[in-house]
Amino acid sequence: MTKRLTLLPGIALIGMLFLIPVGIVFQQGLFDPVFTTEHFVRFATRGAYMRIFWSTLQISTVVALVCLLVGYPIAYFIVRQPPARRPFLMFLVLVPMWMSILARTYSWMVVLGKEGIINQSLIWLGLIDEPIKMLFTTGAVYVAMVQIMLPILIVTCFSSMTEIDQSLLRAARIMGASPRKAFREVFLPLSAEGAITGTLIVFILSMGFFIVPALLGGRRDAMLANVISGQVSQTNWGFAAAISIVLLGATLLVLVLVRGASAKLVHHQEEAH
Amino acid sequence: MTIKTTFTALTLGATLAAGTAWADGSITYAGSGGGLGQVMKGVFDDPFTAETGIAVNALATSDRASALKAMQVAGKVTWDVTELNPIEYATASLSGWLAPLDWSTIDPSGALPEEAKLPDAGIAATFSTIMAVRTDELPDGKQMTSWANFWDVETFPGGRALQNQPIDNLEFALIADGVAPVDVYTVLATAEGQDRAFAKLDEIKPHITAWWTAGAQPVQMLSDGEVAYTSAWNGRITKLASEGVPVEINWNGGGIKASYVAIVKGSENVETGQQFISYMMTNPERAAQFASMVPYPGMVKGLYDHIPAEKGAMMPTHPDNVGKQFVTDAVFWGKNLGPLKERWEDWILE
Repeated sequence: MTKRLTLLPGIALIGMLFLIPVGIVFQQGLFDPVFTTEHFVRFATRGAYMRIFWSTLQISTVVALVCLLVGYPIAYFIVRQPPARRPFLMFLVLVPMWMSILARTYSWMVVLGKEGIINQSLIWLGLIDEPIKMLFTTGAVYVAMVQIMLPILIVTCFSSMTEIDQSLLRAARIMGASPRKAFREVFLPLSAEGAITGTLIVFILSMGFFIVPALLGGRRDAMLANVISGQVSQTNWGFAAAISIVLLGATLLVLVLVRGASAKLVHHQEEAH
Repeated sequence: MTIKTTFTALTLGATLAAGTAWADGSITYAGSGGGLGQVMKGVFDDPFTAETGIAVNALATSDRASALKAMQVAGKVTWDVTELNPIEYATASLSGWLAPLDWSTIDPSGALPEEAKLPDAGIAATFSTIMAVRTDELPDGKQMTSWANFWDVETFPGGRALQNQPIDNLEFALIADGVAPVDVYTVLATAEGQDRAFAKLDEIKPHITAWWTAGAQPVQMLSDGEVAYTSAWNGRITKLASEGVPVEINWNGGGIKASYVAIVKGSENVETGQQFISYMMTNPERAAQFASMVPYPGMVKGLYDHIPAEKGAMMPTHPDNVGKQFVTDAVFWGKNLGPLKERWEDWILE
């Protein structure tokens, strides 16, 4: 009983600071003041908003997958290091997270710009005559978002990988599995859960991204969060709420689909053994 | 036990919050914070407190129209005096979120011109969206003096930037297309005029390196050499030039904007609020001191008598500059921003 009581403040906090505000967002998007789908119709029928919606989904998916492809091997590398060396390597991974996203975004402008470090070096080396356009492109948005999100994926993967009993890998090797096979058959399935969770977290955070596309992207690289902020400051709260509901719904849908698919996959793996 | 502690903490928190909001002899001023807030503190807030004993609780705020709406909806007004940009002012004024001002008590001696005294706000400062030019990027012997030049990418090659919003850009496009600055809003009020502005923007669109969204971006892009020509806010360019970057302001076709001060409807400190507005707006020496620190001059008569000539020349309302620009029509934009912004968003993604 006392255990349940200690949960109460947490529940109250979530209720007051999360559930009630989300409820108000739903109310704002659906009632004006009577029930209306006007905001959703407007969102779906105006080409610009749907285009931004699809590009938000696309950017978030690509960023999440690139983070997985880059971050998983890094986490694996760190886990395979002697335990005494791991904290320092994790420290290196975490250092960028302590810097403001805004500062890091402006730093990318310095790196990717026309007179930036990369272009200057390439010109100095004689590899190019004219600066390459890297800033204000979709590529710049990807590079910066991956850099910002990568530590989150590495940390999630790392913590699930440390829970894997390393002697299982050794056992597989003793039983005659090649290193590659031991990794594929033993380590990969056991670390998949953490990797999927990390990828989903990156995806969810990317869906709400805002500063990076506004500062580093081209004119077509707006994301839904930019539209929501614009509508809020124009005091079109109903429409802003409707877009937020769409964003939330799309994110939850992807979450459920990926979770369902991965549960099936893990189940399938278990049956095969 | 835990619950009790939580409740105690909550009650204590609420008491403290209420204590700050309702302390006697203080007003809450919703400003912009940052460097501007620092200057205002030195020139207005602290001397005002020293003279009157009324503390000024200055907040760093943004998205003020949204905040005002929230206060009116919730019925809990936490700001007394607020700064407003033209769109925020138009929204707040048309929605009735501002208290009427009594100009006979704020400006009894008539220090301010009539156009600075609106029924529900005062024009406390002015700034301008101007064209900033990297002088070292200009072709030999050429000067960029107009928006028509900005559109002329043959004569003036080089990167360009504009702000990612319809305000200013539709006006600049019409001026580049030959409309006289005074006629801009007459033309823009018609559907044909709006089509004309977007058609002109079509011409420059492929040559725009970046569409900026924050005032710091054009400054950054000019100093990094990312663009040679961009729209920007005048004060930022004055500062950039003083740091040694070869940039110049071209005032021709700039869009002058007012920064308004107003009292929020429902404020319990209307009288002290008016007292503070009067202190900010009506003293030419003090206004000159402010304007020479940040080039956003107020409207008080005789202001330029107290400002050195070379500093005055960097200000949007200086007699040499004011006639070259148009005044951004806050009410036009307050009424038309919604549809034009949607059209703009479609256009920018095309």
